Amino acid sequence: MLLHYLDLSWRSFKRTPLVSFLMVLAIAIGIGITMTSLSVYHMMSADPIPHKSSQLYNVQLQTMDEGHTWWTGDDIPMQLTYQDAENLYNAPIPDKKVAMMRTGFSVYLDSDEVKPFISNARMTTPDFFNMFDVSFIYGGVWSEQQEQSAAPVVVISKELNDKLFAGENSIGKLVYLDDDSYQVVGVINDWPLNLKYYDLNNGAFNKVEDLFLPFSLIKAKELNSWGNSNGWKYENIRNFADRLQSEQVWIQFWAQLDTTEQKTAYGNYLTSYIEEQKKRGRFTREKPEYSLRDVNQWMEYNNVVSEDNKILVGLSFMFLAVCLANILGLLLAKFLRRAPEVGVRRALGASKRQVFLQHLVEVAMLGFIGGLLGIVLAQVGLLGVRQSYNYYANLATMDLTMLLSAPVIAITTCIIAGLYPAWLVCKTNPAIYLKSQ
Amino acid sequence: MLEIKPIFHALCRSKVGAVLLLLQIAITTAIVSNAAFIIQDRIAFLNQETGYPEQDLFKFNVMTFGKDVDLSQQFELDESMLRALPGVESAAQSSSIPLSGSGSASSFNLKPAPQESKSVRTAYFFIDEHGLDTYGVKLISGRNFSEDEVLITNSPTDRTTNVTVITEALANELFPESDALGKTIYFGDLPLKVIGITAPMKGPWLKDSHPNNVALIPYIQSRTYAQFAVRAKPGQRAAVMKDIESLMLKNYSKRVINNIRGLDELKDEYMAADKLMMRMLIVLITILVLVTALGIFGLTLFNISKRTKQIGTRRALGARKSAIINYFLVENALICSVGLFLGVIAALLLGQMLMQHFSIAALPPSYIAITAVMVFFMSLLAVLGPAKRAANISPSIATRTI
Repeated sequence: MLLHYLDLSWRSFKRTPLVSFLMVLAIAIGIGITMTSLSVYHMMSADPIPHKSSQLYNVQLQTMDEGHTWWTGDDIPMQLTYQDAENLYNAPIPDKKVAMMRTGFSVYLDSDEVKPFISNARMTTPDFFNMFDVSFIYGGVWSEQQEQSAAPVVVISKELNDKLFAGENSIGKLVYLDDDSYQVVGVINDWPLNLKYYDLNNGAFNKVEDLFLPFSLIKAKELNSWGNSNGWKYENIRNFADRLQSEQVWIQFWAQLDTTEQKTAYGNYLTSYIEEQKKRGRFTREKPEYSLRDVNQWMEYNNVVSEDNKILVGLSFMFLAVCLANILGLLLAKFLRRAPEVGVRRALGASKRQVFLQHLVEVAMLGFIGGLLGIVLAQVGLLGVRQSYNYYANLATMDLTMLLSAPVIAITTCIIAGLYPAWLVCKTNPAIYLKSQ
Repeated sequence: MLEIKPIFHALCRSKVGAVLLLLQIAITTAIVSNAAFIIQDRIAFLNQETGYPEQDLFKFNVMTFGKDVDLSQQFELDESMLRALPGVESAAQSSSIPLSGSGSASSFNLKPAPQESKSVRTAYFFIDEHGLDTYGVKLISGRNFSEDEVLITNSPTDRTTNVTVITEALANELFPESDALGKTIYFGDLPLKVIGITAPMKGPWLKDSHPNNVALIPYIQSRTYAQFAVRAKPGQRAAVMKDIESLMLKNYSKRVINNIRGLDELKDEYMAADKLMMRMLIVLITILVLVTALGIFGLTLFNISKRTKQIGTRRALGARKSAIINYFLVENALICSVGLFLGVIAALLLGQMLMQHFSIAALPPSYIAITAVMVFFMSLLAVLGPAKRAANISPSIATRTI
C-alpha cells in the first residue's frame, strides 16, 4: 500500500510541478537555514569525551576575599593559584589529577635543516594523557619521578614529529626549546579536538599544543604563562618566586573522580584544605567555597556555545515556522483542488483513513525531497561560515547525526503542515462531486 | 468606498488562508525587526573608529632563544634599523598591540595601592617615545615622553618610571571635574605623572568594558618574547612586511620572527565572529522576506483562481477593473494590519526575551515601526501582480459555465 501511495504522490508531484517545486523549495530553504545554525550549535555543544565526561572534574577554589567579584556566574575564579595547584597535586586523593598551564617555546634542532619556529606547549603533570584519553604512537609519558625532579623531557605531537624527524621513531632524540635541550620520551597520536575543553579560557578554539612538558619545569625554568593570569588584589610581585607565592590565578586543575563517593570524599578534602589554609591567613571568607564541574558543566559554565549562535538557532526555527505556514497554504490549495478526484475515490470505497494516509505520505515525500535539498543548501551555508570565520573550520560541518536529522526535521515539519489539509480533504463528501460530473 | 464590510465577510469564509498569512506576517515582523537591530549594532561595532591608520600599521613577534646577546641593546639596534628603512615612518617595541585581542590591563587609581581610592580599568602599553608616532596618534595636550624619561632595562624589578601619557577618555573618567594634565595617578603603588593626553585610541580589546581607556608607560623591559609595531609609509606596508623576517634575522639570527600581521587583519580576526553573525542575519532576513512575499503571492493567486467566477460576475455586473484590484489590495491590507499588530507584539516579546537571556540592548520601537511599514509595502507589492491579473478576468467567464 505504501508503494502505491508513493506512486500516487509522485504522479501528483508531476501533475502540479510548480506548486510542488515551490513547496520543496520552501522546506529546503527552511531546513538549509536551520541546519546551518543547528550544525554549528551541535558541534560546539557536543560532548568531547562522552565515555568519561562525567568523571573528569575541573577544580575551582574561592580564593578571593569577601566582597571581590569575578565575571563567572558564581563569582569563583576559573583557574587556581600556583600554590594551590601544587598543594592539591601533592594531596593523597584522588589517584588521577592534573595541574597544567599553557606556554610556548622556540623550537629547533641541532642542525640547520629546520628553521627555528615557535610552538605552543602545555606544562602538565603526567596523568594528563591518561585522563584525557591521549594515545601514543611512540614511547609514552614521563615518570612521576621525572616529574618531581623537573627532568628535561618532552612529549611531542605527531605533526611536530613529522616536521622535525620525518615521522620516524624519535624517542631519545634531543630537541632544543629556548636554548635548552630536551629529550623526546613520547609522540602522541593525532588528537583532533574541535574545542580544547581542558583549557577553555586560554584560546578554546586554538589547536592542541605540539609540546607537552613536566609541570615542575615552570618553577625550574621560570616559565611564563601564555594564557590568562588574573589577580584580584594588589600584590607587590618583584620576581618569579613572588609570583609563585602570589594570589594570582593562572593554573588549570582537573581531577578524575570515578564514583559519587570519590566526589564526596574529594569535596570534603577540599573543604578541609581551605580550613587548613585559613589558619595561614588565606581563604578569608566565612564559608569555604569550591566547585567541581564535570566536562559538560564546565563547557556550559564557560559559555562555549556563543550567544550569537543560540540566537541564530532560535531565529532559524522561527524561520522554519514561517516556511511551515507557507507550505500549509500551498498544500491547502493543492489538496482542495483535487477534491473531485478524492470524491470519486471515496465513492469507490476508499476509507477516510486511507485517503488521509495517502495525503500524509505525499507530504512526507515532499519533506524528504526538501530535506535532501536542504542538506545541500546547508552545506553551502556552512561553507560560507567556514570561509568567514577561521575558528569554525572544524566546527561548521555536519556530522552523521545532523545529516540524519535534516530529513527527519523536514519530514516532521511537512507532516505537521500536511495534517490539516489532509484532514480537510479526507472529509470530502463524495456525493457532491459525483453529482456535478 | 473601500468596501471593507463585504471583504471582511468574504474573509470570514476562508479563514485558514487568512490566518496563515497573518501568522507569516507576524513572525516575519518579529524576526526582521530584532535581526535588523542586531545587524545595525554589529555594523556600528565593525565600522567604529579605532584612532589608528590600520592600513599602514603592522606588528610582528620576536622570540629570542640565543643567550649571547644583550636584549635591550639588540632591540635598540633593531628599532633604529627599522626606522631607517625607506618604506617605514616609525617603529617601536610595544608590550601589547592594539585591537589584537591580547594585552594587559589593570586598575589605575588616584591613591597608591593598597589604599582604597577611585579605580578605573585601563589597558596599558609599555612603549618608548616613538610609540605615539608609530601608532599615528596625536596629542591633544601636554607633551610626549622625552628620551631620558624612557626606562630601558633587563631587570624585571627595576621600576623607576614616573610619567605616563593617557587617552582623553581615561583622563575624563579619572578626573571628571578637572584637567588631568600634571596630576599623579597610581599603577599599583607606582606613581605616574600625567604629562600628555592623546586623541582617542582603542586598547587591545574592542569588546572590553572600557575599550577607550589606554595609558602609555615609558618602560621597556626587554624579554625573550617581544612585540614590535611598525608604521609603514602609505602603500608600502606589504613590501616592508615581506622583508621584515630576513632583515631582523640578519641583525641577529638566534631568534624566531613570526606573526607578521597587519593591524587591519588583527582587527578583522577579532571581529570575525561579529561579521559572521551580521552576514548570517542579513542572509536570514533577506530570504525570510522573500519567502513571506512568495507566500502572499501564492495565496492571492490561489484565492483568485478560486474566485474566478465570482470576479467575472462582478465585472459583468459593472465593476471596474480598479474595483477588483482595490478589492484584493484592501483584503490584503486588512490581513496585513492584523498580522502587523500581532507582529509588533511578537517583536516586543522577542526583544524582551533576547534582552533577558543575552547581552542585547532593548529593541528601540523605531526598528519595529520601520519593519512594519516595510512589511506592509512588501505585502502590497506581492499582491499587486495577482490582483492585476484578476482584474483582467473577462466578464464572459461568468456567463459561460453556470
